[in-house]
Amino acid sequence: MVSKTEETQLNRLENQVDNGGGGAWEYLCLVRKLKVRRSEKVLKYGLSILNDPKKRSALGPEEWTLYEQVAIAAMDCQCLDVAKDCIKALQKKFPESKRVGRLNGMLLEAKGSWGEAEKAYSSLLEDNPLDQVIHKRRVAMAKAQGNISGAIESLNKYLEIFMADHEAWRELAEIYVSLQMYKQAAFCYEELILSQPTVPLYHLTYADVLYTLGGLENLQTAKKYYASTIDLTGGKNTRALFGICLCTSAVAQVSKGRNKEDKESPELHSLAATALEKDYKQRASDKLGLLTSALRSLKT
Amino acid sequence: MAEDLVLDTAIRDWVLIPLSVVMVLIGILRYFVSKLMLSSQLPDPKIVKEGQVIVRARNLRAAANFIPPKSFRSRRVYFSNEENGLLFVPKGQAQNPQAQMFSDPNMAMDMMKKNLSMIIPQTLTFAWVNFFFSGFVAAKIPFPLTQRFRSMLQNGIDLSTVDVSYVSSRSWYFLNLFGLRGLFSLILGEENATDDTQRMMQMSGFGFDPSKSLGAEKDGLDIVQHEWALPKFEHRAEAALKKLIK
Repeated sequence: MVSKTEETQLNRLENQVDNGGGGAWEYLCLVRKLKVRRSEKVLKYGLSILNDPKKRSALGPEEWTLYEQVAIAAMDCQCLDVAKDCIKALQKKFPESKRVGRLNGMLLEAKGSWGEAEKAYSSLLEDNPLDQVIHKRRVAMAKAQGNISGAIESLNKYLEIFMADHEAWRELAEIYVSLQMYKQAAFCYEELILSQPTVPLYHLTYADVLYTLGGLENLQTAKKYYASTIDLTGGKNTRALFGICLCTSAVAQVSKGRNKEDKESPELHSLAATALEKDYKQRASDKLGLLTSALRSLKT
Repeated sequence: MAEDLVLDTAIRDWVLIPLSVVMVLIGILRYFVSKLMLSSQLPDPKIVKEGQVIVRARNLRAAANFIPPKSFRSRRVYFSNEENGLLFVPKGQAQNPQAQMFSDPNMAMDMMKKNLSMIIPQTLTFAWVNFFFSGFVAAKIPFPLTQRFRSMLQNGIDLSTVDVSYVSSRSWYFLNLFGLRGLFSLILGEENATDDTQRMMQMSGFGFDPSKSLGAEKDGLDIVQHEWALPKFEHRAEAALKKLIK
């Protein structure tokens, strides 16, 4: 997760470089550190540095890291020739390297030759069966080919060994949600909450999944998790506010006739509605009418 | 008798300083040699998996109050049940880690190399110190010591009346051996091969012991009482929203 300061720094550098103010190398280093996906810009500025022999020699040993970064960005933008050139340069310098082997595999993937890429990855895995990145690339390949169940299987096998990798859990959760396997997705989100309990995003998505599953208990739990998201974000998360309103009305519907169990937070619903109205008034006052009518229909 | 011996400054110039300089140089040499001899150790998949299991179990313990009680309980059973719980190590299987380490040829070779690189320079330097720098008083320790240290610190000096604070160069060697660790971590950065004391401690208690840490995690997990924190959050959310609206 990228923090707020890092995000502002990244945007600032991006603006600076876009307007010709130099600082391309810092921008590229920051992109690499934060692992954000800005492939077009990386490609443009990386190539400008690499094609200028003076700037290239000024980098020293970092030149090869830049080659790798530009190669991956080129593959992302489908400039396969650029990628091939970069990989060739890297291969000349590091002939027996596993990292370059991995880049070769990625190039085959980008070209669409899945079988050869699979062969390349398997041979790399034989040498080093515990290479996390290659395992993940195979999952990505299965997903790109549309073989979602294969992707799930490989991802599960990966997680059996590397169960502390929260990025993998997140990927698995999103795949499950796309397949509407909500119970499994809920499990994955629980893992994410366990590993990083203070990230509001996971609470929010977990609440979404619980709300979608339905049933009184799940709805009440979902309401609690929407509340925790609100607490973690200081009430600014619109989706969570909506979630509270929807949950309360859904609970009321499901438990029609039974005595209401809302002793814990009777005011939460009205508070959330008020907060939403205030937010809409500030940011999208033309839609306020829609909001109030929607909320009113929920209350009934 | 506590008389004040006047020590020749030549001792300081020709014994203490050269000895320290030599030890620093030897340390740097060992660092580079160890870098050259570094064999890339392939991580054992079982050990990697156990490490990850421990991280996951620890996360579960730490954040247990954030997930619903049913999920927590099912996870706890998954980890610590008798048949195939991840953390459960049946008594018979808890291998003696010592035997395990010696049966793995790679690890044994690595340990041998590390031990050798530590023992040989130490022995050589010690022999050199004894040969050249024995038989005279090298320094005076600023604090008084008991008589029991006499045999260790005053080996070349055969006078029994000399105060124990006056020591031979052997003690200066030992002082340097343990004291230069800080200097090395400044010069060479962390994780240098000269960290003898750490290695010696590791020899006595075999470092990474997976079965014991698994058992420890299991016990920790069994103890945890699940107290679902989420209902509290509803109140806090209320308060937060109230503040926001005001």
